[in-house]
Amino acid sequence: MNKLDKQFEQMIKGVQIDSPSSDFTLRVMSRIQAEAAVQRKPILQNYQPVISKRTWIILIVAFILLLIYITVSSQNATPASDTGFWSTVSGKIGGFNNQEASSILKTGMGLFTSIPSIAYLILTASLALWTLDSVLSRFRHHSSEIQIGS
Amino acid sequence: MNKTDDIYYIEAVRNGNVQAFSFLVEKYQKLVYTLALKLLKKPEEAEEIAQDTFIKAFQKLGSYEGKSKFSTWLYSITYNACISELRKRRIEFKSLDDRQMSDQDEQKMHDYYRETRKEDQEKYLNLALARLPEDDQVLVTLYYYENQSMDEISQITGLNVSNIKVKIHRARKKMYELLHEMLKEEVYSLL
Repeated sequence: MNKLDKQFEQMIKGVQIDSPSSDFTLRVMSRIQAEAAVQRKPILQNYQPVISKRTWIILIVAFILLLIYITVSSQNATPASDTGFWSTVSGKIGGFNNQEASSILKTGMGLFTSIPSIAYLILTASLALWTLDSVLSRFRHHSSEIQIGS
Repeated sequence: MNKTDDIYYIEAVRNGNVQAFSFLVEKYQKLVYTLALKLLKKPEEAEEIAQDTFIKAFQKLGSYEGKSKFSTWLYSITYNACISELRKRRIEFKSLDDRQMSDQDEQKMHDYYRETRKEDQEKYLNLALARLPEDDQVLVTLYYYENQSMDEISQITGLNVSNIKVKIHRARKKMYELLHEMLKEEVYSLL
């Protein structure tokens, strides 16, 4: 800043700047309190995840172990061809003329046919529960960012 | 962390203490309002924009990374809100004409100004400032009153630094010219 700049700065600093109304802070803060109240979701304030992280880990490990067990045990057993959703699908595929393609698919599907239908139901239910849990947890984190009047 | 630091209160708000935001409102309300008033001219509109600025700052506080000063960040919200408001009204800034005072005349004018009464100084300075184009008033206020650096003003206004330098230099000279005219009129009126 040169001399002229400094002189000018002194002049400007001698001037009083404008002030808003005396209740400005009060008005802003009441709008902010209202804003905070909207952002806050009391219903979800105390929401706790239905299934804890630890339980989720146990469930995932158990499911993987179940898959491994079924895969290993089905290698020596005759593939179940008369039950389950995958049997029906693979049976329909078998109807195609292309024998090689259908046999590859059958081999791949064979793995799934040996898994009981109840396992798919458990997997679907678990995924649905996990999705719901994640959504609700997100809401809870969002709402707990702001607390009023603390 | 000092209790007078902005960051102390920003962290308090982030941790859920909404009331801590009132410290920041108290501290910056005058400058935010002044900037809005210089651009919008109407006190009611300036007050509304100033309020909106603080609400927006509160809402966006999570995205404030602390890379710039809180005041710089806050003034940029104010400036942008005013510019959008002016665009809605399709108002364009006036520009300064090219006539400029020499540095010697500027010095003489400053000395003459210092000799006038204190209360007159403030009156004339306010009048001269009000006659500058709106964006130049903002630049002068930020640079000379608020001591924001050229880089910070660039962040606030989106203008490049060299452009800001030129504008501030011209605004200062223009203000001396305006003061000169006003004080000359004053002398004539006394005679």
